[in-house]
Amino acid sequence: MDDPIEQASSEVKKIIKRVLDVEKSRLDKNEQGRINEDILKIVKEEVQ
Amino acid sequence: MKLISIKLFNFRCFYQQTPEIMLARSEDRNITILHGNNGTGKTSLLNAFTWVLYDKFTAAFADPEQLVNRQAIAEAQPKQSTDCWAEVLFEHDGKRYRVRRQCQAHKIENKGERSIEYSKRELFLQVAGDDGRWAIHNQMPDVIINGILPKSLHQYFFFDGERIEQIVRSDNRNEIAEATKKLLGVQVLDNAIKHLKEARKSLEEELKSVGDAQTKTLISQKQKVENDIVECETRIQEIEQEVEAQSQLRVSCNQRLSELGGIEEIQKRREALEAQERENRDNLRRTKNELKQAISTQGYSVFLPQAIADFRELVGGLHERGELPADIKQTFVLDLLERRKCICGAALHDGSPNYEEVKSWLEKAGLADVETATLKLEGFVDEVEKQATDFWQGIDTKQVSISHLKNSISRLELELEDIREQLRKSPIEDIRQMQTRLDEIDLKVEDLNLEKGRKLQKCTDYQQQVENLQKQIKSSKQNEGKQKLAQKRIDAAQQAIDLLIEFKTNRNEQFRKQLETRIDEIFSQISFKAQTPRLSEKYELSLVETIAGQEVPSGASTGENQILSLSFIGSVIDSVRKWSKSGLLMGPDSSTFPIVMDSPFGSLDEIYRRQVARLIPQLANQLVVMVSKTQWRMEVAEEMTPRIGKEYVFVFNSNKPDTQTDDIFLYGNSYPLVRQSAYDYEYTEVMEVNRDSTT
Repeated sequence: MDDPIEQASSEVKKIIKRVLDVEKSRLDKNEQGRINEDILKIVKEEVQ
Repeated sequence: MKLISIKLFNFRCFYQQTPEIMLARSEDRNITILHGNNGTGKTSLLNAFTWVLYDKFTAAFADPEQLVNRQAIAEAQPKQSTDCWAEVLFEHDGKRYRVRRQCQAHKIENKGERSIEYSKRELFLQVAGDDGRWAIHNQMPDVIINGILPKSLHQYFFFDGERIEQIVRSDNRNEIAEATKKLLGVQVLDNAIKHLKEARKSLEEELKSVGDAQTKTLISQKQKVENDIVECETRIQEIEQEVEAQSQLRVSCNQRLSELGGIEEIQKRREALEAQERENRDNLRRTKNELKQAISTQGYSVFLPQAIADFRELVGGLHERGELPADIKQTFVLDLLERRKCICGAALHDGSPNYEEVKSWLEKAGLADVETATLKLEGFVDEVEKQATDFWQGIDTKQVSISHLKNSISRLELELEDIREQLRKSPIEDIRQMQTRLDEIDLKVEDLNLEKGRKLQKCTDYQQQVENLQKQIKSSKQNEGKQKLAQKRIDAAQQAIDLLIEFKTNRNEQFRKQLETRIDEIFSQISFKAQTPRLSEKYELSLVETIAGQEVPSGASTGENQILSLSFIGSVIDSVRKWSKSGLLMGPDSSTFPIVMDSPFGSLDEIYRRQVARLIPQLANQLVVMVSKTQWRMEVAEEMTPRIGKEYVFVFNSNKPDTQTDDIFLYGNSYPLVRQSAYDYEYTEVMEVNRDSTT
């Protein structure tokens, strides 16, 4: 598959991977509510 | 999801508790067959599945509010409740689930008058722990079931075979597209994009708080334009929904018009013309896109003839002057000058006439490189010249097609307008009114589409403004470390958003193309006609055939539409399963699917019945089929029998005096389909077929 994500820098790749993991787990558990803080934390941790 | 068993209690014609109907689920024997005559519980069983899992019923299920067995209610005392339930056992992703939905009928007696009231339906779900003990799950049952096989998809896995052709109806296309995307796990990507956008906004707020005055102003401007974009996009969505609603309204108006007497032929003609017009417009759109694609990828070739002519003239001149082919190499001359000795033995001192003579050969010798380059370029130039010819031929063909399609659309529009005019002037008022309604709808849709176009243009302008502001923010002075870091984080979040959007678009398109190929493969295995299924970008399913090199829409019979729908379902299952196994899905595990079909071979001819019976068990992991004796014909039985793992007969016990009994012969034994009830009430029993007698 022609995956555009593979072209990204390592920190952006890590952000995408972690965000997708969080979203998938939330969907599996059907958790509601805002997750802005979680995603914001991921971006901040990966870009120092 | 793999279904293990189903059990019913006082559910419709099933009086008291049925035995547990175990469902075949091994890989090589994955079919369960349930034989029954009309009205003896086949559709009830299908609806027991959809009721338990989704609280839904199929269109053919009469009086869905009356689920409780009438005899059971009759036996109850006044003020007494009668239970009714259905229980399904299934496994998914290594876990076993037990789901029961139940309701009660209450016998009410008020001033001598008796009535029945039905209680609210309740759903219970238990999950088996590692020790095998059943426990209540901490999540809502319907949430768990939805996570395993979404409710919006249930009609593709639990369906009435006689009505399956409805899947290809155009008014279902959005539903199909959305349902399929759900299986692909697009929701995970959508949520990720949405939440990253929110995070980016928070980061922008942070930048605003630490940034200088100019940065603050630019961010505020950008946020304002972004809000405008959201407003614009929201309105576009509303318009699309409104257009869809108007289209539905149009369908129902046309139906009502068809029902009015005297204009059946005109309506049929109108429907045919409208179908042709739609098809022509689709073809026009596709051909225009192909034209754009050809121009953007091969159009450069038309600007090259002058350059090619110059090149040929230059090379020709070199040949004429004898400068090509070059007979001396530059490296050879340089070597002589370096060694200070000519091949004739003469010394080559700097500045001497001999030296200058040999040095002058360098100019000529340089052409050897030109010669090498010329040889390479000549081949390329020939190829480019051929490309230009092909390009023009392709463009001519497409332009002719576009012109034909435009003419055809104009002709169809005129014919349709004639019909509309006839109906507007009809002596029957109802017809006139209905046509006026249709005119209003068309006008409304036109206005909405124009507004949508304007909004789309605005959105593009706003996007451009955002990009410009983003560039300005990035280029503004950022001395503070905090400010730089905030900007870096915003950039990273934005890149992640852009990449996820691109990834999602690629993935959707890739899946749609794979799906179309698979539908074609399955359809061509079943159908004996040279028709090809097409799945549009909006997931519209249609059949085309190729006449004189052109694809034209092919009218499909009910049977062909049924095959097309089955091919679609089979393809979705097959493709999602493949993606799931390759780890390409973002959503919940979706590698195992059941299909529960009632009367799957109703409108099909023998040849189609055989092909469907052969193919479907290979596509779904598990198949539960309810059939009448006439549907269980030789070819169906021949194809399915080797894969049957479980088989049952619904025995209808009729309380009608002198009931005409009926039997079915299976594996050398006779099983009753209809027999005289031993009681004064009717009921259906479930009897397992002994397959060991022959296997």
